[in-house]
Amino acid sequence: MNESRENKTILQMEGVSRFYRTRGNVFRGGGRLVVALSKINLSLRQGEIFGLVGESGSGKTTCGRLIVRLEEPDEGRITLGGEDITHLKGKRLREYRRQVQMVFQDPYQSLNPQVTIADSVAEPLITHKVGDPLDHLERVLRVLKTAGLSPPEDYVYRFPHQLSGGQRQRVAIARAIVLEPSLLVADEPTSMLDASYSAQIFEILQGVRDKLGATIMFITHSMASARYLCDRIGVIYRGHLVEQGPAEQVINAPKHPYTKALIDATPKFGRSELVPTYGTLLAAERPATSSAGCPFFRRCALAERLLCAGSYPPWRQVGPRQVALCHFAQEEVPPPPPAENAARGETGAP
Amino acid sequence: MEQTTIKSLKAKRRALWRQRFMENWRVFLRNPLGRIGMSLLVMFGLMAICSYIPPMINPMYHPMTGVDPDVVSSVGPSWRHWLGTDFMGRDIFSQLLAGARVAFLVGVSAAFMSVVLGTAVGMTAGYMGRFTDTALMRLADMIMVLPTLLVVLMLAALFGKLSIWMIVLMIALFRWPGVSRIIRAQTLSLKQRPFIDAARVSGAGHLRIIFRHIMPNVLPLAFLYMTFRVTSAIVIEAGLAFLGFGDPGTVSWGMMLQWVWKTGHMFQAPYWLLPPGICISLITLSFYMLGRAMDEVLDPRLRDETQAG
Amino acid sequence: MALLQVENLGIGYQTAKGLLKAVDGVSFTLEAGRSLGLVGESGCGKTTIGMALMGLLPPNGRIIEGRIVLDGIEISALDEDELRKVRWSKVAMIFQAAMNALNPVKRISAQMAEAIQVHRPEVDDSAAMERVEGLFNLVGLPLERLYDFPHQYSGGMKQRAIIAMALALNPKLIIADEPTTALDVIVQDQILKETKALQEKFNIGIIFISHDISIVADVCHDIGVMYAGQLVEMGSAKDVFFNSQHPYTQALVSSFPTLAGPKTKLAPIPGEPPNLTGAIPGCRFCDRCPKDTASCKLEHPKWQEVGPGHHVLCDHC
Repeated sequence: MNESRENKTILQMEGVSRFYRTRGNVFRGGGRLVVALSKINLSLRQGEIFGLVGESGSGKTTCGRLIVRLEEPDEGRITLGGEDITHLKGKRLREYRRQVQMVFQDPYQSLNPQVTIADSVAEPLITHKVGDPLDHLERVLRVLKTAGLSPPEDYVYRFPHQLSGGQRQRVAIARAIVLEPSLLVADEPTSMLDASYSAQIFEILQGVRDKLGATIMFITHSMASARYLCDRIGVIYRGHLVEQGPAEQVINAPKHPYTKALIDATPKFGRSELVPTYGTLLAAERPATSSAGCPFFRRCALAERLLCAGSYPPWRQVGPRQVALCHFAQEEVPPPPPAENAARGETGAP
Repeated sequence: MEQTTIKSLKAKRRALWRQRFMENWRVFLRNPLGRIGMSLLVMFGLMAICSYIPPMINPMYHPMTGVDPDVVSSVGPSWRHWLGTDFMGRDIFSQLLAGARVAFLVGVSAAFMSVVLGTAVGMTAGYMGRFTDTALMRLADMIMVLPTLLVVLMLAALFGKLSIWMIVLMIALFRWPGVSRIIRAQTLSLKQRPFIDAARVSGAGHLRIIFRHIMPNVLPLAFLYMTFRVTSAIVIEAGLAFLGFGDPGTVSWGMMLQWVWKTGHMFQAPYWLLPPGICISLITLSFYMLGRAMDEVLDPRLRDETQAG
Repeated sequence: MALLQVENLGIGYQTAKGLLKAVDGVSFTLEAGRSLGLVGESGCGKTTIGMALMGLLPPNGRIIEGRIVLDGIEISALDEDELRKVRWSKVAMIFQAAMNALNPVKRISAQMAEAIQVHRPEVDDSAAMERVEGLFNLVGLPLERLYDFPHQYSGGMKQRAIIAMALALNPKLIIADEPTTALDVIVQDQILKETKALQEKFNIGIIFISHDISIVADVCHDIGVMYAGQLVEMGSAKDVFFNSQHPYTQALVSSFPTLAGPKTKLAPIPGEPPNLTGAIPGCRFCDRCPKDTASCKLEHPKWQEVGPGHHVLCDHC
């Protein structure tokens, strides 16, 4: 991939937060504020596949839903290609959605059971008034083929329940790319599927990037899939982005204790001798102290009570274009050449 | 695209819908309740259609105005009058046929109206949520706790005799809240399903989501409730007519029962009393059975074959 | 004698479209204290085998051939009453949707004590509670959470409670059907490690059913790879995954992204598994196989021994 294309920022999230209020009741009193995302700073570059890795409840899905504007952020700003889209409404929101599409986690739930495959895939064309019905059909056939369903004629007039999970997810991808969006959010597209289908989905997503030049945000809980598919990885823990950097670097030389714990826990498939064990996860959680400290303090084996419990960690540059949110994160490689400094502003956070 | 491809695709599309229909039909017929209900309904349907024949044969067979000149009081079955005549010499069999027509008319149209109303209200409440939801549902609650028969009786007493269409309208207006509650619940759960989010991301507006994505998923349920509503509409109409508040210009089964009772033939003329009574029971039963069988068609849990895994 | 012997097992489901043979000609043995991983795509019959071992096949499923012998008892020949005695006391199961296996309106400890007393009526209340406390310690659940309701537990804690329940009656065999699919990586890792330790401590046989080959590779001694109702490759975890012989196993391994080792291009398996209704002549994988020949479609493949204890159902290996 050429440098200039890679360096053009397409999506930028600045200090984006999202809160949920739990519903209060007579016994517990008023609602409690739950932080789903806390001051996320993120930028996606044109044509890259960015992996957002985290556990369930870490806010990674919320992040995706904010980008496609299924939800609105409570704080911060999201821009696409320079245009502020944080609070778009009505017609301009619809126009925005021509450029940003999403593939959902569960293909058994994301297709309307009463609608044929042809109508499902053609829906974006109809809502955005692109072409006539015959044109729609032609496009649907073409895009189903791109999504690996061939011959597409066999699939268009079926209902979702007549397809396997892998085929349904490919239909969902076809629907997401029929408008040729510039940004695609894929929210754990393979977590409901068998391993043998995952590889097919990965291949299709790579094809979407290579052929359509789309940028992809790949949300996943699996470090191994992120390593395979992504150019860059961001690790998210309880709503806080804790580490960000090129995929190989984050996986081979993780700097944040949580990233290290994730890698420790991932099954190594018999090759555990190739991956060091970091042991950064505390066996028993510490009691919570204040909310001001490091988000990972309670489970971190490296934390020092005074420093980590008391102050929110700074972003530290820990490698070429790699940053970690930790008081102790340090670079182990020689400092980056001056040319890299330009990229720092984009990758890093205040 | 080539013409042949388009043609074959169109054929595929037709085949898909045909297959879906046949599949549902098979499940429906596999259910003995469905078979019995369906055959009973076909029988009543034939009766309703045949109700036009007797007056054509001889004006004295007209259910309302035709009087056999040779008969002065109620007589039992004979070749001339298969089920006998009423107190003024009208043919009971042709009245029974006309009653079937009225029952269908009242039942289906009242049920249709109340289900359309209930579905519209339920979908609006469920989809809009917040204030609209609360307002509509409180209204539904208020109407639901009113005893339908009593209110209609009072209205009838107020306005004098009601026409059959007024009765239909009244039943429709009083019977929608139950449907709307169920449709609202279904809409609420559908609204949470990811395919609605997917439609929003595809750029669909509220109207499109309601009509294209939510409605096809609640219509089967609405249709199911229609069959149950038909039952209650027929019973209410019969009750009204029997109590003397029916449309005096219409021959319904309830009306026939009222005549039996008012002329004091209750225990003297079983040939007059029993047929309308049995018909009311059977038609409500058959619509109920139809609904039960349709329940099985619509509820995937009742029909899904176990998957190997 | 082996703890579990499965011989030529065939299981069919009666469906509207005819008999669906979900499991066909499966044989394996399991020694006490060993673990066997069954891997394969959904619909390959691995869960069906687990259910048959528990005697919990759904009403339209039945064993049509072969036999299952557990600890000298032929399970496949038992009736429901006799099965109930074997179930939980000799063979226990950790279900796929373990979260839903707990009764939401009963305290965890009460549920466990009840499970013990149903099978051992002679155990009195205090002895049962003592056993529950022992089990809590065993699986690493804090004792102060004994009297909680299930909804107060996190996903990982519920899974631990389920494991404790499975261990309650000292079974000789545990069937774990995708026990960690709903859990996060870190919790999954902890539970897998503990399961392994408990197995060694109590010398239990475990059948581990999963679609995730990296999990079974880490946990199990032996691996059986299933495809379309048949076992296609069987051997030690090392042999099966790092010296795979069957084309399906090879495809499965090369379509799996790993964290370690060289980042190779994944090779997706084209196509879909066959429909299992009706008879299938020849090899079931040949439609998707890179090295199929004309004879593959016609003749049933035979088991070949490709190494000590390493068998493959393929004529070309």
